[in-house]
Amino acid sequence: MSETFILPGESVPAQHVNLKLGPGLLQYATVDQESRVASTKAGELHHSANNSRWWIEGNSKRYIPAPQESVVGVVTARSGEGWRVDIGSAHPAYLDGLAFEGATKRNKPNLKVGSLLYARVSLAHKDMEPELECFDAQTHKAEGFGELKGGFLVRCSLKMCRLLLSPNHFLLPLLGSRFTLEVATGLNGRVWVTAKEAKHVIAVARCIEAVDPDGGGMDESGVKQFLGTLDR
Amino acid sequence: MPRPPSPSIPEKEFLFNSLKESLRLDGRQSLEMRDPVFTFGPDLGWVECALGKTRVLAQLDGKMVKPTPERPLEGIITINSEISPMASSDYEPGRPSDEEVTMTRMLDKVLRRSDAIDKESLCILAGQRVWHLRLTIHCLADAGNLLDCACLAGIVAFRHYRRPEVEVVGEEVIIHHPSERAPVPLSMHHTPFCFTFAYFPDPNTPPILDPSHLEQRLSAGLISIALNAQKELCVIQKAGGVPLSQEQVLGAIDIAVGKAVELDRIVTQRLEEDWKGRKVEIR
Amino acid sequence: MSSRVEILNDGGYRSDGRRQYELRDITIDLSPRGTADGSAMITHGLTEVMVDVFGPREAKLRGQTLHDRALLTVEVGIVPFSTGERRKRNRGDKRILELAATIKQTFEPIVQTNLYPRSEISIFVSVLQQDGGLLPASINATTLALLTAGIPMTDYVTAITCGVHSTAPLLDLTTLEENDLPHLTVASLPRTFKVTLVAMETRLHVERVSECMKIAGEAGKVLHQEMKRAVEARTKRLVQAMDMAPRIGGVGGGVDRDVDMDEDNQT
Repeated sequence: MSETFILPGESVPAQHVNLKLGPGLLQYATVDQESRVASTKAGELHHSANNSRWWIEGNSKRYIPAPQESVVGVVTARSGEGWRVDIGSAHPAYLDGLAFEGATKRNKPNLKVGSLLYARVSLAHKDMEPELECFDAQTHKAEGFGELKGGFLVRCSLKMCRLLLSPNHFLLPLLGSRFTLEVATGLNGRVWVTAKEAKHVIAVARCIEAVDPDGGGMDESGVKQFLGTLDR
Repeated sequence: MPRPPSPSIPEKEFLFNSLKESLRLDGRQSLEMRDPVFTFGPDLGWVECALGKTRVLAQLDGKMVKPTPERPLEGIITINSEISPMASSDYEPGRPSDEEVTMTRMLDKVLRRSDAIDKESLCILAGQRVWHLRLTIHCLADAGNLLDCACLAGIVAFRHYRRPEVEVVGEEVIIHHPSERAPVPLSMHHTPFCFTFAYFPDPNTPPILDPSHLEQRLSAGLISIALNAQKELCVIQKAGGVPLSQEQVLGAIDIAVGKAVELDRIVTQRLEEDWKGRKVEIR
Repeated sequence: MSSRVEILNDGGYRSDGRRQYELRDITIDLSPRGTADGSAMITHGLTEVMVDVFGPREAKLRGQTLHDRALLTVEVGIVPFSTGERRKRNRGDKRILELAATIKQTFEPIVQTNLYPRSEISIFVSVLQQDGGLLPASINATTLALLTAGIPMTDYVTAITCGVHSTAPLLDLTTLEENDLPHLTVASLPRTFKVTLVAMETRLHVERVSECMKIAGEAGKVLHQEMKRAVEARTKRLVQAMDMAPRIGGVGGGVDRDVDMDEDNQT
């Protein structure tokens, strides 16, 4: 794994028989039908050990849906057989009424406008509305997806929620060692948090905000100190 | 164009419940303000005021004009303010929203109609030449309580601004460049500050001062009180929202009285610090 | 205060011959006008405001509908001949927009909008004459117009201005007095005695405010009696008209004729 900083428009030396491009990279053909790869956003260029997967890691706030990503969304309206869900992308996503574990035409979950959801993006195409589902498409099991009741929604930068999902990041284990908490991290910069006491939830929310590279960018010792000032 | 969705049900419930326990999401007390941060620009009358993530830039400039025939002895003050969608996606371009109308009117009342600035002192030559002060308010980011932040930025801009010294010889007006003679501060009667309290539907929830964006969105009523450190009320604005008893309104005024004294001290101190730093370059 | 006219003379009379706490004449006319679902005209002395209410009806702008309650829209028109100096204010005038926004925000928590999701209640306020107390007159007229339209509300809203002349509070100010005195507009709910609107725009010492609010609250009760009497009289006539209706032959005709008599019955 190498790390280089890259700006939009630079050409990327990605060549592989089974090339897979991640976010921020674009493949195009030159006049003489040669395939090239260029970057479309600024960030760190990463690639896998065998040079088959390439992606750019940057930080932004606006979420661009990509298939199979878990997101936290807010139901904004009913629409036909399903719901319209705000996931922070440019367009509202559509969640079908049957995309739940055990849902049938007669028996659909009852979501109100304003409900929070943990869902997976099942379809993301630049010319179409994103679509969501609340189950695993193969097994039809909920796998933790569905409505989120209680708790609180914390908004952060996209980099922060990726960090929270990374098993090596210090924040959630640190907080978990202090009190019990439940977290659902969406890749769209929204984190749902619940704990036994309101002050714990507030602590989590403030820690996430403090650690966010887009804001405070606090490190581990800083957070420990910060938690001390929060007095618990 | 769809409006941004209103806060979700869990957010709403959580906020209400924690406020009932007097816990706020940013760790403040219910009647605690975010500390204002002032950044003074290179020019006099250029002030950026930040309350948490809410940021407002106020810019004041003066030029000489002919006074209006109705008031030949008074200077002119105009205030430009517009909330563009830059501040928050809640605002739409074009037609002024209710918030914008409230803010424009409130700024007008707090800064102009409260007689904070001695308009007669802005007169240079009766009927011929007066100062025209133009205040432009740019709302950079709205993270709640934009109104207080804008009023604060505006009034501090007035205090920060210094107009060039002028001399009248007969009919002739001589303007002294700041490098020749030190510019003079505006003559002000008092310094009004605006404080906004948010009330919630549940009667047992205590009111909070300086609401954040989410708190403001979910509040059931706001009351804005503008007053100076001398206990003189300039504006009270409570339009609709939950009905309050007279005691609640008077209670809010009492709290604002204390906060105004505190804020006045901070502002005066910051302005002094800034002016000390400047003297060197003006010479 | 440097005024040419004496606001309150030594005998305790104001420039128009009223006492300190005396309100101006109030006339209320609730007869229906045009196609409006509810309408009211109120005069406070020389201030005259007419309000028409339409709705609940389907919202004109569908994008604005709220999924859980009705949308209130308020539009204010001030006729150019309403003031001494004839002056046309265009609709984008910030003062008019503020007046409209204030009325809207005052009534939003009072009108039970949650009973009519996805609909719109529009309120049109026309100011015919102004002589001080524009906002309170508009609010009182709007209350009455909403009542005549049969829109459920939790309470009346009664509003009044209260000014302070050196230390003496005065009620229901005229333009002359408004220009010279610091004053406060208070809209209160007579049933709970709570205030829904407080507006003040001139310098006033903190200690004077509580007195003003108390007196304005009392005045609100008086106004409430007056407004309630007008509404009850109208309802009584409506009921009588409905009893008579089968004999006359048409409900509409009966109601119309009866409410035309409004003025005569009241004076």
